[in-house]
Amino acid sequence: MEETELIDKAKAGDKKALAELVKKYEQTVYNFSFKICRDPEKAENIMQETFLSMIRSLYQFDGNSKLSTWLYRIVANHCLMAARKQRSDQFVSIENDDSLYNERDIADWNGVPFKTVENKELRDILDSSIQKLSPEYRLVFLLRDVEGLSTEETAKITELSAAAVKSRLHRARAFLRKEINEAMQYDI
Amino acid sequence: MISDKVNCKDVMKHVCESLGEDLNSESCRNIRMHLEECQDCRNYFVSVEKTIEFYKEYNIDMPPDAHNRLMSCLGLQDESL
Repeated sequence: MEETELIDKAKAGDKKALAELVKKYEQTVYNFSFKICRDPEKAENIMQETFLSMIRSLYQFDGNSKLSTWLYRIVANHCLMAARKQRSDQFVSIENDDSLYNERDIADWNGVPFKTVENKELRDILDSSIQKLSPEYRLVFLLRDVEGLSTEETAKITELSAAAVKSRLHRARAFLRKEINEAMQYDI
Repeated sequence: MISDKVNCKDVMKHVCESLGEDLNSESCRNIRMHLEECQDCRNYFVSVEKTIEFYKEYNIDMPPDAHNRLMSCLGLQDESL
């Protein structure tokens, strides 16, 4: 069955169609939630909240965007709400460009001793680095670079201007590269 | 470090700003020239690309019972059962 047909049926109260939609997107939603919060338990809670919200507001979905984009928006809202309960001083400020670009930090990564993200040490570095970013920066980096959404789609989901998305994205990239670079030099 | 119209810090910023976008525009000419000549900046470019690649490849599967817990929480039946 086509997705639009499933959505129409789900809107009309067809539970079988709704279950199919949930099944189709549950892994995507779980994975994206995990990528933002880096915690399996929180990711599962956010996944449940996201689909509860989807069911409550599916009638508002107008089909002008992809359902996946609409779901990303719901996940993002739940993650931001959860993050607002955390202390803001847990996150590093990256508003100052100059601190992100230090010529002495340049290193050749071609010879890094690990090749894939199956490596536990690398996963730990990736988790701890991204958790230092405020959720607003994390979201932009994950939507644009990891999920592959366009600047315009990311702007719509995060309710930022395209210029603000670009600005946050380049700072997030530079920050994460710098963190991983430093961690590799000391931990690996 | 190579001395030309742009310095390494300019290139590092530019790489982070425009990765994945059109690096062939006229305004990028000096950056491209610098990248061709500067190994440090080429290394930087690779490391930014690799950073994104790492996060793209780092995926996690749902726990085995998470699907059942989700369906139960939503009050839905799993049609495959």
